[in-house]
Amino acid sequence: MKLLRRLFALFRRNQQERQLDAELQFHLQQATEENIRRGMNEAEARRAAQLSFGGVEQVKEAYRDVSRLRWIEEVGQDLRFGLRMLRKRPGFTLIAILTLSLGIGANTAIFSLLNVALLRPLPIAQPEQFIALSNSVTGRLFPTFSYPNYKDMQARTEVFSGLLAYRFAPLSLSHDGLNERLWGYSVTGNYFDVLGIKPALGRLISLDDDRTRGAHPVTVISHQCWQQRFGSDPSVIGKEVIVNGRNFTIIGVAPLGFVGTEIIAAPEMWFPMMMQAQLEMGDDWLDKRGVENIFVQGRLKPGVSLVQAQAALDAVVAQLAREFPNNNEGRRVLLTPPGLMNGTMRAPVLGFAGVLMVVVGLVLLLACANLANLLLARATERRREMAVRLALGAKRFQLVRQLLVESVLLALAGGALGCLLAWWLTGLAATYKPPMDVPANFALHLDRRVLLFAFVLSIVTGVVFGLLPALQATKTNLVAALKDEASFGTYRNSWLKNSLIVFQVALSLVLLIGGGLMVRALQQAETIPLGFDPQNAIAVSFDLRLQGYDAAQGREAEKRLLERVRALPGVKAAGLADMVPVDLHFSSSSVFIEGQSLERTANTPRAMSNRVTPGYFSAMQTRLVQGREFTEQDNDQAPPVVIVNETFARRFWPNESPLHKRFRLGNANAPLLEIVGVAQDGKYAGLNEDPKSFVYRSLWQSRLSSSSLIVRAETEPQTLIAAVRRELQQLDPHLPIASTKTMTEQLSFALLPARLAASALGSFGLLALALAAIGLYGVMAYSVAQRTRELGIRIALGAQASDIHKLVVGQGLKLASIGIALGLLISLAVMRLMKNFLFGVSATDPLTFVAIGVVLLLVALLACYLPARRATKVDPLIALRTE
Amino acid sequence: MSKQRSDLLQGTLDLLILKTLALEPMHGWGITQRIQQISEGALQVNQGSLYPALVRLEQQGWIASEWGTSENNRQAKYYALTKTGRKQLKEESDNWKRVSTAIEQILQAS
Repeated sequence: MKLLRRLFALFRRNQQERQLDAELQFHLQQATEENIRRGMNEAEARRAAQLSFGGVEQVKEAYRDVSRLRWIEEVGQDLRFGLRMLRKRPGFTLIAILTLSLGIGANTAIFSLLNVALLRPLPIAQPEQFIALSNSVTGRLFPTFSYPNYKDMQARTEVFSGLLAYRFAPLSLSHDGLNERLWGYSVTGNYFDVLGIKPALGRLISLDDDRTRGAHPVTVISHQCWQQRFGSDPSVIGKEVIVNGRNFTIIGVAPLGFVGTEIIAAPEMWFPMMMQAQLEMGDDWLDKRGVENIFVQGRLKPGVSLVQAQAALDAVVAQLAREFPNNNEGRRVLLTPPGLMNGTMRAPVLGFAGVLMVVVGLVLLLACANLANLLLARATERRREMAVRLALGAKRFQLVRQLLVESVLLALAGGALGCLLAWWLTGLAATYKPPMDVPANFALHLDRRVLLFAFVLSIVTGVVFGLLPALQATKTNLVAALKDEASFGTYRNSWLKNSLIVFQVALSLVLLIGGGLMVRALQQAETIPLGFDPQNAIAVSFDLRLQGYDAAQGREAEKRLLERVRALPGVKAAGLADMVPVDLHFSSSSVFIEGQSLERTANTPRAMSNRVTPGYFSAMQTRLVQGREFTEQDNDQAPPVVIVNETFARRFWPNESPLHKRFRLGNANAPLLEIVGVAQDGKYAGLNEDPKSFVYRSLWQSRLSSSSLIVRAETEPQTLIAAVRRELQQLDPHLPIASTKTMTEQLSFALLPARLAASALGSFGLLALALAAIGLYGVMAYSVAQRTRELGIRIALGAQASDIHKLVVGQGLKLASIGIALGLLISLAVMRLMKNFLFGVSATDPLTFVAIGVVLLLVALLACYLPARRATKVDPLIALRTE
Repeated sequence: MSKQRSDLLQGTLDLLILKTLALEPMHGWGITQRIQQISEGALQVNQGSLYPALVRLEQQGWIASEWGTSENNRQAKYYALTKTGRKQLKEESDNWKRVSTAIEQILQAS
């Protein structure tokens, strides 16, 4: 913007110069012709004309002096003058720039998050035509489809120029003697074509690579994978690698920067969808309409609107519901923006970033208020300067402009420093590895849009905190100012400063209460009944299927592993489970109680489930309230048994014992499961979830899946990790281990949003408190300095030190109290918004509110105390003489 | 600033320009010629003061400029008197008359 304006000015300047040139040339020509008419020859005539004209350049210079170009020069002068003024007060300048850089930096960093999540288009051809599909079944929104439903939608809709599908696939990659655990996608043959991606090397997966099941052992690797795992070797094309126990040929490298269409995930390899069974241990779901596990996205045909596409899709889905009511009744397919799990993650990300944006916005506002106050105080000091300049003929507009140039200069310097801060913060975010087995990608970039944001924000900030003081400073009563009648002239402005202080106190109180509630929530989180004991336990995840084990071999290996781990010194108990709580991946399935009438899949009650081995409950220290634990005899030869949690039991058999009751899980034809035990309730997918129905099945009775080994140690578990890893390596030297962590680490991820919020709100709140304290101190000190004469008179008339003290402190505390009251009211209204982050703490937790209020009052007291002490030291003789 | 500080010479030039333009819109060269003609060569306008004066008058809003074609088909910038310019001309010429009468009287007195 600034560049544009400057270019425009330059252009105008050029135009003006050209016109001036033309005008003067015309004058010279006329003079020459006149001379010729008088009888001179041409050369003579021109010389004479030039002589009589005087120096052309001098004329131009004189012209420029009075022309509009002066405006630019004046701003240049303002800039120089502003810089000089700022240099003259390094302390003020430094504090201002630092304050601003914190505010602007935090805003820029959060904005870069919003930018990546919502604004930046995907790195594909024509991203604006690209949309994602999501399901809505009886109000439940989820992003995945079954392959048959996908094929039908693709065949029956005319509105898409292409509809693609992909699925996350966990991989175990062996090449050049290395075993690595990573993530990839199974994709349909039109995937790269629809996205409009061109290969960096070799070729990409095409329709011909996705025709026959199991017949296309080819893979495309990401540019990053090529660089990091294959050393950018161009001969990688045609190379054979082993993935999940099978040979695949690398046929191409995707272009730099392309990592699929999920913003926060970065897969490294792509495979044809027809190879999914080979990648997923023979689990072929391409014909199963009930298995909903692929993401569907597509490109609208040119000229097709979203409304038209939605209508066409509705018609097809209605057909599918009639043809396959068991799976599709009540289903709606919605068009959603691609990028965050097809829109299902959009709301949480937006909410999180939105709350942060509001918080950092408030901090910046606070910084503005503080600087405005400092500038107001300075404005009073500079009244005389302003008055002199006004008297000498400067226009008020010019003075305001000059003061604004100063504050914008400050803001720009703060903005530049803030960008550095944001750059550092986003760098930190990029290196963050969540303790979770996902292909996470937290790359935030300070791209042009973010820098533009920072720049505009700086300018706006400069104007916001500079305008009021500038107007105040130049609204001067000339005579009074020049006569230096300071003490009476400025008192009327104090309401402005006072309200700024009230505002600051209120704001910092709101932030601190937010932070305080978060801290309380984190404390509470320690006491939330988890349904297991995270202390002294570790969890190690691995996947034997990825190494090509079949069910029998896998069971054998897992039993051997458990025996060996239980024999390690310091191990109290060990068990295996599909997943370890707290994990967002827990999915729920339908429950069909024996003897109750059948309902459609979409309407049945649901429960989350996990598969565990004997020993799991003692390793997790989850208490059984009824019945028995799984035993080694609950294997695939025995009738299938389950353990349910208390909520499940209460929900289906509120008044009788659930033991030996039976139900089916998943679909109405699944085998009946008999309840043999009831376990205590716990948290499964999230720490602040409501009590959820939960089913434990025996791992020995299910097909082989990825597993986590849970080991309960007698003491500190850290030392056990190495020993357990060694056992796994001995079990299979080629087995990649997905993750190893203590259970407390596992929990810390679930607490991450609350931690982030607590530290952000807490630190911003403290910053705000410091700013408010400085502001209050400044105003009180200034007011004492202003009232020196009044105080002198009071002391002369017999006021005691304590009276003076009371007077000054009272004035300050009055402001602080109004601010605190206001802040408490705002907090009461605002904190409801954070309810989702607060575990076990009320949004109006009285302890937090009172404690923070008292702290703030004490800080305010301190901020007033120092000026008050100075006030009592006023010597009436000197005070009365000063003016 | 120029308003308060207008010295006699400058003020005179402004007055002359305004008066010249009151007859008809004219370009810079034409203005110098016209002043010379009417004063029968007694007043020579220095170009170094003419053009800055024109800009100043334009900034005050007393004259306006426009590009046009001169009598010998060249592009030239034509200046014309505005409404406020006409008022200003009247004011300044009245003023001039007062001053010159006063100076005349003083000179006569001796």
